[in-house]
Amino acid sequence: AEDDQDAETPGDNAPKTTYDRVVELLNQASLLGNDTDKISNLRQVQELIIHKDPDLLDNFLDEMIAFQNDRSVDVKKCIIGFMEEACKKDAECLIRVIPCIAHLMQDENVNVQKKVILCFAGLYRCALQWVSKAKTVSPEMSTIWDQVNHIKSTLAELIDSDNDGIRTHVVKFLEGLTLTLSKKTAASEVPKKQEKEISLDQVVENGRLIRLKKLEEEGQQHFLTLVQFQGSPHISSINLMTVMGALTNIAKQRPGFFDQVVQSFEALHVNLPPTLAKSQVSSVRKNLKMQMLALLRHSMSADFINKALPKDESRKRKL
Amino acid sequence: MSLSEPQELKIAIVCSSNQNRSMEAHSFLGKKGFRVQSFGTGNQVKLPGPSPDKPNIYDFSVTYDEMYKDLMRKDPELYTQNGILHMLDRNRRIKPRPERFQASKERFDIVISCEERVYDQIVDDIEGREKELDHVMHLINIDIQDNHEEATIGAFMICELVTMLYASDDLDNEVDEILQDFEHRVNRPVLHTALFY
Repeated sequence: AEDDQDAETPGDNAPKTTYDRVVELLNQASLLGNDTDKISNLRQVQELIIHKDPDLLDNFLDEMIAFQNDRSVDVKKCIIGFMEEACKKDAECLIRVIPCIAHLMQDENVNVQKKVILCFAGLYRCALQWVSKAKTVSPEMSTIWDQVNHIKSTLAELIDSDNDGIRTHVVKFLEGLTLTLSKKTAASEVPKKQEKEISLDQVVENGRLIRLKKLEEEGQQHFLTLVQFQGSPHISSINLMTVMGALTNIAKQRPGFFDQVVQSFEALHVNLPPTLAKSQVSSVRKNLKMQMLALLRHSMSADFINKALPKDESRKRKL
Repeated sequence: MSLSEPQELKIAIVCSSNQNRSMEAHSFLGKKGFRVQSFGTGNQVKLPGPSPDKPNIYDFSVTYDEMYKDLMRKDPELYTQNGILHMLDRNRRIKPRPERFQASKERFDIVISCEERVYDQIVDDIEGREKELDHVMHLINIDIQDNHEEATIGAFMICELVTMLYASDDLDNEVDEILQDFEHRVNRPVLHTALFY
């Protein structure tokens, strides 16, 4: 295949070339029968209109979003990923994306639902930043913010879903929400990629829509949901390990929760769920050890080494 | 009937040197039509040498063909007898060179490791990566000893497991049960975790 990605030169013609290329890729995508090829085209369009020439994003947003009605689950998932990226680039996209997300989360395919759950923490951050930065609140913005909050609550309730995989994904979602709805401190250790993500310390109180105190309480509530979920007696091993990982990430990035996370691990260490099979116990114990070592490397752990680490760990340290 | 085509799971089989256990399974699963790749997690590729304290050590960039020729030059009789040349010959027909898991940027749905140390190295590697957090991978360990017979048995077991995982419409929901079922069938302990990356 011919590769013309470097064919254009900066100048008057450049936008036109990209424009034509996008039109061509979208036209092809709508005709392609093979999902893999279709997704490859859509990814190229995403790259072109989000990174290469963002001026085109507004132009082609609706055309891209239209692929959410594709028959293929993978194409839908690709478009959900695109929606998140588009809103990160330009928060105004939320106005058109959020109603679609409300529709997609009702999709009959569980893998589409899971993709929505994974992307929504990012979309929520975009919306929070958008509303918090706005000088005046338009009725449109107010409506979208309501919808965002409605979707958020609906997804958070799925922690009680009958589907184990959905619950796993909701755990990651609640991890993201807890991180957004809490404040970074000097001791926060944030991975590079997440450094720029908004958290409550950067949110400006916005009289009509945003009240910091309420949001902070909500973040704490999500955190408690995770702790309770970890302590539920019939939790599956896979969810148990996911929630342990989530709590470790929260403790490292929001040291205000460090104490409670260590305590919850200690409780778990002495009282693993009775429903786990023998080899699941091995996997969970291995994971617990890894999480504890990760916490031990954090500067906050100095306060806990002698008093709160599970006994096995502290004994090993003395030997 | 589902509206979309069945999802093709992307599988990786990982051992230490990407020579024996992972390649045996790669070869076996590949022939059955699975979308499979194989890797090693070691720092270098190690093959048995004239004595246990003198292994042949190569960098991951060396091709199977070059290793074959190297051992052919060193001691064709020994390496024919212990099956190493036969193994390298099989490997070079599958792909050019061993690949290191830590160097791969691809994202898999299922990764199967062949020993606990390899499982730990994969977890370490994934945890240390810059993550997108929008993809979930199931990491499963089955202990397989590093010799020819065990690798053959291991490939059969891995194939059985992968077939069971493929049959599921909703893997994230059913993986726990499938693994327990598998464990009873093969009577070997299995480690399992899900990693977001």
